[in-house]
Amino acid sequence: MKAAWWPVLVWIALITGAVWFTGTRLSVHSELGDLLPEGTTATQRLLLTQVRSGLAGRMLLLAIEGAPPDELAGLSKTLGEGLRKQAQIDFVGNGMQVLSSEERQVLFRARYLLSQTVRAETFSADSLHASLEQRLDELRSPLAPMIKAYIPTDPTGEFLGILQSWAGWESPATHRGVWMSADLQRALLVVETKAAGFDVDAQEAIQRDIRASFHRVADGPSPSARLLMSGPGVFTVEIQRTIEREVWWLSVVAATLVFLFLYASYRSLTLVFLSLIPLSSGILAGMVAVNSWFGFVHGITLGFGITLLGVVDDYPIHLFSHLNKQASAPVIMRAMWPTMRLGVLTTAIGFSSLLLAGFPALAQLGLFALAGLGTAALVTRWVLPVCVPAGFVPREIRTDLLGTMAHLSKARAVVPVAVVLATIVMIWSDTPLWEEDLAKISPVSEEKKQLDQQLRRALGAPDMRDLLVVEAATQQDLLERSETVMPQLDRLQAVGILEGYDLVSRYLPSHRVQRERQQALPNSVDLKDRLGEAVKGLPFAPGLFEPFLDEVSVARRQPLIDRDLFRGTPLGLKIEALMLEDHGRWVAVAPLRGVVDRQGLKAAVAGWGASAVTYVDIKEESNRLMRDYRNRTVQLLGWGTIAIAGALAIGLKSISQLWRVLVPIIAGLIAVVGILNLSGESLSLFHVATLLLVVGLGLDYALFFNRVEDQGEERQRTVFGLLVCSTTTVLVFGVLACSTIPVLHAIGLTAACGSLTCLLFAGFLAGQDSHVS
Amino acid sequence: MNFGTTQTRWICFLSILLLTGNVAKVTAESSLSPGDRSGNVWTVEQVVASLKEGREPSVSFEEATYSSLLTEPLIVRGLLRFTPPSTLEKEVLEPYRERYLIEGDRVTFESERKHVKKTISLEAYPALRSFVEAFRATLTGDVVQLKNVYETTVDGTSRQWTLLLRPYDPAGKSMVDYLLLSGSEGRLTTIAIRAPDGDRSVMTLRRGPSK
Repeated sequence: MKAAWWPVLVWIALITGAVWFTGTRLSVHSELGDLLPEGTTATQRLLLTQVRSGLAGRMLLLAIEGAPPDELAGLSKTLGEGLRKQAQIDFVGNGMQVLSSEERQVLFRARYLLSQTVRAETFSADSLHASLEQRLDELRSPLAPMIKAYIPTDPTGEFLGILQSWAGWESPATHRGVWMSADLQRALLVVETKAAGFDVDAQEAIQRDIRASFHRVADGPSPSARLLMSGPGVFTVEIQRTIEREVWWLSVVAATLVFLFLYASYRSLTLVFLSLIPLSSGILAGMVAVNSWFGFVHGITLGFGITLLGVVDDYPIHLFSHLNKQASAPVIMRAMWPTMRLGVLTTAIGFSSLLLAGFPALAQLGLFALAGLGTAALVTRWVLPVCVPAGFVPREIRTDLLGTMAHLSKARAVVPVAVVLATIVMIWSDTPLWEEDLAKISPVSEEKKQLDQQLRRALGAPDMRDLLVVEAATQQDLLERSETVMPQLDRLQAVGILEGYDLVSRYLPSHRVQRERQQALPNSVDLKDRLGEAVKGLPFAPGLFEPFLDEVSVARRQPLIDRDLFRGTPLGLKIEALMLEDHGRWVAVAPLRGVVDRQGLKAAVAGWGASAVTYVDIKEESNRLMRDYRNRTVQLLGWGTIAIAGALAIGLKSISQLWRVLVPIIAGLIAVVGILNLSGESLSLFHVATLLLVVGLGLDYALFFNRVEDQGEERQRTVFGLLVCSTTTVLVFGVLACSTIPVLHAIGLTAACGSLTCLLFAGFLAGQDSHVS
Repeated sequence: MNFGTTQTRWICFLSILLLTGNVAKVTAESSLSPGDRSGNVWTVEQVVASLKEGREPSVSFEEATYSSLLTEPLIVRGLLRFTPPSTLEKEVLEPYRERYLIEGDRVTFESERKHVKKTISLEAYPALRSFVEAFRATLTGDVVQLKNVYETTVDGTSRQWTLLLRPYDPAGKSMVDYLLLSGSEGRLTTIAIRAPDGDRSVMTLRRGPSK
């Protein structure tokens, strides 16, 4: 017997190693972006880059409410000043931001390159005369003191024209100098963070700082004022924290229930603790494997992985159910092993589908589950039996259950009926079979989504849904292409298909356009003549426009500008967000605002005949992305089932046994989908992935139900074990089904229904001959 | 060339100034003022009190702008209106039509000719805001507020007085050197504003058509 202890020693050594590894090397990530797929098309890749790090994702929308308008304005101002000093924040918009004097100087010097109104005719004598008359009007107006300073150098008003064309772009109403909602109930701010919206920890830190700043500002003077925050970063943090919180309490409830149930079943604390050995070894192994392969473990992988590993808790239960006075635990284990081995192998095939789905989140989960499953099986086989105290027998198990179970097979007609009913439900139900709208899977509450929409509308911020994407090989090509797109977008805006857009060309003209503008500037002799004619009859002081003549002749030869000119300024940040380099190509991303007619927009953009210009409906595109992965997972599930059938055929060496094992599982899957549909659930990627777990559980049940070796009391013990297994599964996943997080709810409901259905169906269809004696 | 926001504040300041300053009306000859009418030296309190007393809902104005950029002054004519408690309006009628309206914190500019209607907020221009408050103080007889913002000097007699206002605030000083209000009893006749660069505007007020 001594020889049997060596696996335990190896196990202790390995576990010690694994504990050391997880203690020192384990890197748990929480950035949701890490779990996103790479995307299969260029558009999807771009979209995902945008989602990961784009401006829209980094934008936080803030509102202050609950105080009189004047107080709100004051709070917005002091909060904005404070936030602008914070290093993790790129930009704060609240209506107060003004161009710095350096920025104004840069813009002023570049005015003849930047201004859209620089054309040859701008400098004709007639046109100059009209401009000068306009300047006189302005001198008569209260605006005079400001205009006055620019008149000698910029009599055609290019500089103020540039400022006006930028400022006129969708800013909210102001009250006391800061942005306010139209009803003056909320002061509005926009914050652009340095960190990506999906960077949970960074986002949480920034949001905490913003809240703290707000309380410093508001707590004294306006205790009733509240800060509202929205945006992708806020959602990310909320989702993450909700999941953590729910997973924690769900785990506590589920673990308590399972513990109590196991104790009630076996009346032995020792067994309950022993049953934890395979599971905890499996979790450790899963963490080590995922961390070694991917370089990090995602928090979500950990949570869901442990859930999936719940299946391995069945293995010790089978062992414990068969413990008796006649045989030692290792002997019993050896007798059970072939059946268990086949169960483990086929479940492993099911879990490998996750590995192949090409979705990083699922791949991590698959690896975690595979490593955990293998480890737990090995531990159950070699370590656990040795740990069971010799001659230990749990409380006498309930043998009267067998009689009840025996009746089950009389009702085997239930299985085809259920399959037919489920099929009918799937065909005729009003609930669509597949969930096509990703938004429904989002755990963000409807209330929060509405707040987000409200703030976006009030701020005139793009709603992150509609983008126009322009691509080109070089930066200049891109700018030229965007310039042709701009008038077309203006037309769409005029027709009312959309309310507004932001495009890089609004701020930065291409070199070609800049050169055209330079060429439109007359030489100093011509300009002097025309100006002399233009000024006739107007009361301007003689020689007043000498600086203008000088600056135009300088502008004719001045170096062209590109985006480097604005680097490090708020304008530079804007340009960088609107125009980016992606795998050696240049891409302009134009957020569209208030798109009313998506079909019309799509058709219009397609009608431009420019293949490098694409309209992307992010919602549509992300749904498509999810759908692609779901379809792939469904396919893999199909192939997995075929592979499982092959493995079973080889392992069971009997077609009738194969039939008895496989049919309940397939029938069970159909019935589960029917039940889900009937309860108003449409299937998402997460349901499908959970069906894999159901296959694993079902295999376990069916294999044990159909053990040829079981006779008499042994069979009773098997049935008892199966009931315990299924009940623990239903308990764990039933608790999960109570979660408010749609994904957890989906997993819980699917697994709980699946476990119950598979157990019943396996019982209905179990071989009668094997339990008659 | 001076860049920055000073000019922006400047304009807005002036726009408010021209609106608010002048609404104190041109009183009728018979209007009584609480001050000493014997021709003795007046105090700021008396000027402000009599201006409030003599306030009219609407007066007409002629404004001349003198600038180093120009060889001759530019003239505009129009109406000024005050609706208690705090709505001020300047309507330009000649040589074109334009309208500026200050309601509480908001300044609305409207020009049919330029197809423009714009609203700005006083709060964006702290110095400007102090001017508006000062003028409201004048119109509502709040001397304390006026003296907070300006160094005030009154000269002359009740028949022919001047009120010189010099801003204390550095932001204000960068925009305006001084304001010189002159009048007789509760009737305001001219407002001269001089900018630090020497440019100035002179507004002459007359009793307007009571619309």
